Amino acid sequence: MSERFFISETDLRGLTADLLDGGTEVIAPVATDICQSPSAVAATACTLDGSKVEIDYRQLTSADDLDLSRGLPQLSLKEFFLPEHEALCHWRQKGTTVQVFEVPTEFAPRVVLAAKPCDAAALAVVDKVMNWDYEDELWNGRRAATTVINLACQVIDDSCFCTAVGAAPDDVKGADGLLTPVEGGYVYEPATDKGRALVEDFAARFSADVPADTIGGQADDERAAARARVADNLEIDADSVRDWIEANFEDPLLTHLAMRCNGCGACTGVCPTCHCFDIVDEQEGVGHGTRRRLWDTCQAPTFTLHASGHNPRDTQHVRYRQRINHKFSIYPLRFGEVLCTGCGRCTRVCHAGQDLVEILEAIDIAARRPRDAEPAEAAS
Amino acid sequence: MTGPAIAPAYAGVDELRRVARELLESGEVRVIIGWEDARRGARPVFITDPAEADKLIFDTRCVHNLVTYLDPRRDHVSELGRIGLVVKGCDAKAVAGLLRESQLSRDHVVLIGMRCGGVLEEGELPEPLALTPENVAPRCYGCDNREPTLTDHLLGEPQPEPPRPVMTIDERVAALDDLPLEERWAFWTEQFSKCVRCYACRQVCPLCICERCIVEKTQPLWIESAAHPRGNFSWNLTRAIHLAGRCVDCGECERFCPVGIPLSLLNRKLQQIVHERYGYTASDDPENAAPIGDYRLDDQQEFIK
Repeated sequence: MSERFFISETDLRGLTADLLDGGTEVIAPVATDICQSPSAVAATACTLDGSKVEIDYRQLTSADDLDLSRGLPQLSLKEFFLPEHEALCHWRQKGTTVQVFEVPTEFAPRVVLAAKPCDAAALAVVDKVMNWDYEDELWNGRRAATTVINLACQVIDDSCFCTAVGAAPDDVKGADGLLTPVEGGYVYEPATDKGRALVEDFAARFSADVPADTIGGQADDERAAARARVADNLEIDADSVRDWIEANFEDPLLTHLAMRCNGCGACTGVCPTCHCFDIVDEQEGVGHGTRRRLWDTCQAPTFTLHASGHNPRDTQHVRYRQRINHKFSIYPLRFGEVLCTGCGRCTRVCHAGQDLVEILEAIDIAARRPRDAEPAEAAS
Repeated sequence: MTGPAIAPAYAGVDELRRVARELLESGEVRVIIGWEDARRGARPVFITDPAEADKLIFDTRCVHNLVTYLDPRRDHVSELGRIGLVVKGCDAKAVAGLLRESQLSRDHVVLIGMRCGGVLEEGELPEPLALTPENVAPRCYGCDNREPTLTDHLLGEPQPEPPRPVMTIDERVAALDDLPLEERWAFWTEQFSKCVRCYACRQVCPLCICERCIVEKTQPLWIESAAHPRGNFSWNLTRAIHLAGRCVDCGECERFCPVGIPLSLLNRKLQQIVHERYGYTASDDPENAAPIGDYRLDDQQEFIK
């Protein structure tokens, strides 16, 4: 069994305040009642009692803002490691001389608190491609500077399926430690040196005296129950799915996935593992500018549009197939990991009704069919 | 404490299924695009087999404007053949928009109109709910196309008017207009800062029909594609202006926005201006020329100096 410590809710907020006071950046879920903000007028669904809460990962300015209600933030943690846009370099040109100004690739230490396990796991999955044929200094720099502490999740809704893709609501993959809620506070389990350093640096906030009934009791029971709840949503054999997609590229199931899909990139934007980016040069004045990378989406026709005018992915069906193929076959074949952690955001944001749970279920059934059919054939 | 009241389906669902089946059986259309009940609630459905016509539903969850699937650029839909499209009165206005701009021939589509008493803000619910001021789509308030004239079939029965939302879109626009300039600027700065440039607003819009969107032109880079304030202001304002006098207020851009930018406020403000300056209101009459494609000698032009 891993080391366990107890931290009260007061001490967890105290720890957050200690970090902030020490000048450490802290990122955590923050709940905003948009009906109470200056933009109340914007909220289309401010009810008569005037409340609509949105949860986002934010840089904390006060320990009071830390939200431990365990709702799922709108966007994943991705933006803190691969920002929506970031400068790669700046240039200045005079005559035939071009000066290039590098951007810093080292970052000040920071801590993510109460991360969703699906969001932290995504960081570990994306690490693979960010260190494949090229080591991405900006990604790696931010990863090295960041301590990620998960908060065990109680499962949000029927779009969650982390357990079907090798993650779990109480996973520490991609994270440095895990908090599990118990009576009066949290059980903290460090998973890495960075996670242990947090206990050493703020020893007064933690107690080695973990309430006896939480070990093998309340904390573990709740975690097991959460895993069971999410497994109820979807169970697939990810290896069979991977192989079936590779072998059945032209199967109608895969070539007609996207009739209702509008080809917007909302699913890739909210996805914790979608990491494709575009690079553009922004001219900022005569002879100077910034080379910038920004999120791109495989759902847009321009993603694969060649300079010749040819587009190898020229319909929405094949663009959508690419998203499924990349996540559940190409990436696992190359890196041994599914490029999805089952957070379900893509399904929730799709108001056209593209439903990844339903699609994976259909592929899983297709992938199991021949195997299940064998005994029946043998019998006949 | 009782939960929200479950609403029955709107009248005409049986007729809808019958008409859809007959259209498919006769070969008059190759596909019916309507709504179905799925795992997470109502969603668009494409029916090519007459035996599946019974999947069609019509209730307060049928919020989607399916006219977006008529966009001629959607090859994967248009290759199916002639379309039978189920529309609400508001959706029919978008069809008129496509006809007005020569994006569609009227005989390429069979329109099945459904008499509607309003829809919910969100269709992702296991059951249709009765409309209340809290849950009604704000755009339904004061609907002026409850008896669409553009349709080939008009089904169902006249429905009561939708309830008045907690705050109407016009009231919200007025509240913004009342703010001092700096606060209005701060408001939109905050809203646009959320934009992740996914372009869901553009993709779902039934009238965003450009072969190549200006935001995709990179040489020169007219509109910066980075999600910084410059890029986000340029994109969001350009999108809104390109829809001025064309937008039919279906609200799909706002509903699809994954970060909740209240685009309806911008769209409505522009509609108000277009109405005030050119006396134009979007309708389902394709002959009702929109200002963008119309010139009149008495057009106001005092702004030309």
